Amino acid sequence: MANSRKLVFRRAAQIGLLCVAIFAFLGAGDENARFNDLGHRMMCVCGCNQILLECNHVGCNYSDHMREELIAAINHGDNDDLVLQAFIQKYGTTVLAAPTSKGFNRVAWTMPYAVLVLGLGVVTMIVRAWGRKAVALREAAGPTDPAMEPFRDQAQRETEL
Amino acid sequence: MIIFAACAMFTLAALVYIFWVPVQLEASEEKTRLAYLRERKDVVYENLRDLNFEYKAGKFPETDYQEMKTALETEAAGILAEIADLEEQEDTFHSAPAPRRRGSANS
Amino acid sequence: MPQLGSFAVLFALALSVYALFAGALALLRPDAAGERLGETARRAGVAIFFAVALAALCLVTAAFQNDFSLAYIYHHSNRDLPAPYKFAALWSGQEGSLLFWSLLLAAYGLVLRLRHNVDRRLFAYASVIIAAVQVFFLLLVNFAANPFAMMQGTLPADGAGLNPLLQYPEMVIHPPMLYLGYVGFTVPFAFALGALMMRYPGEKWIHVTRRWTMVTWGFLTCGIFLGAHWAYSVLGWGGYWAWDPVENASLMPWLTGTAFLHSVMMQEKRGMLKIWNMWLIFATFLLCIFGTFLTRSGLVSSVHAFAQSSIGNWFVAMLALTFAVCVAAFVKNRSHLQSENRLESLISRESSFLFNNLLFVVACFTVLWGTLFPVLSEWVQGHKVTVGPPFFNRVNIPVALLLLLLTAVGPLLAWRKTSFESLKRNFSIPALAAIAVAILLIAFGMRPWAEQSAFYSLMTICLSVMVTVTVFSEFVRGGRVIAGKTGKGLLAAMGRLAHNNTRRYGGYVVHFGVALVMIGLAGSAFNQDKEKEMGYGGKMEIGAYTLTCRSYTQDDKPNYRSEWAILDVTKNGKPLTTLYPERRFYKASQQMSTMPALRSTIQEDLYVVYEGVNEDNGRPIIRVHLNPLVMWIWIGWLTMVGGTALCMVPNAARVPLGAPAPARATVAAEAGD
Repeated sequence: MANSRKLVFRRAAQIGLLCVAIFAFLGAGDENARFNDLGHRMMCVCGCNQILLECNHVGCNYSDHMREELIAAINHGDNDDLVLQAFIQKYGTTVLAAPTSKGFNRVAWTMPYAVLVLGLGVVTMIVRAWGRKAVALREAAGPTDPAMEPFRDQAQRETEL
Repeated sequence: MIIFAACAMFTLAALVYIFWVPVQLEASEEKTRLAYLRERKDVVYENLRDLNFEYKAGKFPETDYQEMKTALETEAAGILAEIADLEEQEDTFHSAPAPRRRGSANS
Repeated sequence: MPQLGSFAVLFALALSVYALFAGALALLRPDAAGERLGETARRAGVAIFFAVALAALCLVTAAFQNDFSLAYIYHHSNRDLPAPYKFAALWSGQEGSLLFWSLLLAAYGLVLRLRHNVDRRLFAYASVIIAAVQVFFLLLVNFAANPFAMMQGTLPADGAGLNPLLQYPEMVIHPPMLYLGYVGFTVPFAFALGALMMRYPGEKWIHVTRRWTMVTWGFLTCGIFLGAHWAYSVLGWGGYWAWDPVENASLMPWLTGTAFLHSVMMQEKRGMLKIWNMWLIFATFLLCIFGTFLTRSGLVSSVHAFAQSSIGNWFVAMLALTFAVCVAAFVKNRSHLQSENRLESLISRESSFLFNNLLFVVACFTVLWGTLFPVLSEWVQGHKVTVGPPFFNRVNIPVALLLLLLTAVGPLLAWRKTSFESLKRNFSIPALAAIAVAILLIAFGMRPWAEQSAFYSLMTICLSVMVTVTVFSEFVRGGRVIAGKTGKGLLAAMGRLAHNNTRRYGGYVVHFGVALVMIGLAGSAFNQDKEKEMGYGGKMEIGAYTLTCRSYTQDDKPNYRSEWAILDVTKNGKPLTTLYPERRFYKASQQMSTMPALRSTIQEDLYVVYEGVNEDNGRPIIRVHLNPLVMWIWIGWLTMVGGTALCMVPNAARVPLGAPAPARATVAAEAGD
């Protein structure tokens, strides 16, 4: 347990965009990590189109306030889902930085992979089919025409390095 | 007034340029089969040279090289044969001495 | 001036309409009269450029003369605006940038029409298609977004000023670069569509458009990277790419365009994938128009989109019409697009190109899908959702890694066929190098198993090393052959090698640049940042750096007021430099903007932002980012540009091969058609 906590903390320190000003309010590293994680899963709603923790307008009417709300919710002991739900209730579904994995939103995630898999399948099939055709053509071609030999020689001569 | 004059000048210059076309124009020709074949020949030659070069650079083993070379040379031979045939037809059509397109014979 | 400009755009429209219809009519009449008509259409096409250039000149002159009777100049300039930005007013707003689009298209069209002797008929087709696109943009400029519209009511004494975010040197060159890229794809598109319509025999059109496509691609690449660099240097959030819809709009045609650049080589060399290439270039052009539409229609929300307007409907109509024409041309002439060769082995270079194309297209689809999903969600679920960086990163990073792998493997495969033996022969060194680097990185403390971002980062670096080794081994191998033949030194031989086949070796240089960029991107997994209120003498530590606040100061310039901090930086206790992060208040537009201070090294960037003042106690807030390896991105970009430039250089003349003979007359072959 302690080990995993350490790992999570390292993650926070590495990727982390941690606001020192807010640190004071926070307790254990676990909560920092949660703040960091949840803060990166939401957008600032001021219209700047930035991740909540990356919104850098001082005096932004929203981000500071939202960060405080997030800290309060974490300190209150709410779990991740509950925190996010509360934000959705208050700010609408666009507060989440990425679609959820429920209902129609799942389509957002699955579609690119579906297209990739489908594409891989189609490409592999095409390549195989062409390969078979090429083999068939080569077998059907039979021995080379002796009348072509002079031309073949010419080609060889003219492309020698 | 100046602006009106400028507009008029500009229009006039443009119209003269556009419609003052020389009477005799170089006719644009449809691309011939021969021209197409010569293009193809250049491309296949380029592929062959590439192949030879990459072989010399040590990129593939002998068997692979021979197989690919044979395939490309067959393709080139087919094109060369057709070019030769078409050139001959053209020559008989003009009933003139063969135009020397590619240097003189040395083989 | 405004009247002259208005006249010029209207006249340009008339010329384009003439070039379109007379040109099209001439193509249907293959007699002498048709020939003459075609020539007048071509000349009208040439004249379009001068008319549009005159209009652009009028607009720029108006900006320099502070002619605020023009609504456009009022909204995008002011008296104290520095001269370069006044010039940039041409492309800083909706109306002006559409005029600029037309101008660039007219310039491309001019070059094309002057070079028509290369292949008159093919060029005539391309010229007509370009005229059609030109008509669309000039219709917009004349009737939907006129840059020469006059102000109503009393004449204002000063302009409303240019958006401060745009008042940065890169913003003067970023939009033209991007537009040159967007507009440039019209040329290969026009040639491809023209070649299809006229059932052009052979692949010469690819040869003709090769340079155009590469130049265009180079411009688009520059535009994208300049945009990223601008975002990094000005927006002050410490990053360079946010998956904003406008950024995505530029990335999509870049992805399909890159795919096209690769797969079109297969058509050129082997006569394959004709249908696919045709649709790839159609898609690229449509995505360019679509990107322009995205940034202007207000369909998706974005920070740096233009103001919302009704112009979107025009673009929808244009997209639909273009698509319809493409489909019609394709259906009518699809028999013309039969392949001449077939793939023979799953592992050959052709199939690697096929997979490369698939990945590019999937990446493009993902970006398009993510950009449009909010709109789709609104239709289906009745509410918008945000599709932000977490989505794009998660979905696109694996695709990018696969692409990087193919970049490393692809050049090692032969055309037609590669046996397992030759694969082993070529691939063992790059693979060993990558493994060695992985071991080294882990030994130095990277922990790819601890978290996903570190894993991706490690993979990216290893694959980039593999790409680099592949590129160098190609140069060395080829160089040795030349050195052996000519007796030159290896370096000179490598130079000669690159000159012999500039496209291939330029392409390798671009691959190397991509590897550098990817290493730079991998660094972002280890970004750190901190924010602190700093009074006089306040200290902040990040990584090995310590920042000490020496002082604060402010200044008042004609165009803006500014305040900044003076921070002394030490690294491991040794004095390093002094940084001046700044915050500006632009008077005309009444807007704030940040000017981050940056200390950039090959290892990492120290990026300092003056965020403003805490209103409660008057102490300034400083935010510091430590971003590893960012400089690699910019070096990689310049390498990519260098590689593209190398591709442009004509090949050295081949050493003559004696005088080969056309061995003819002995063989009778079928002269088919």
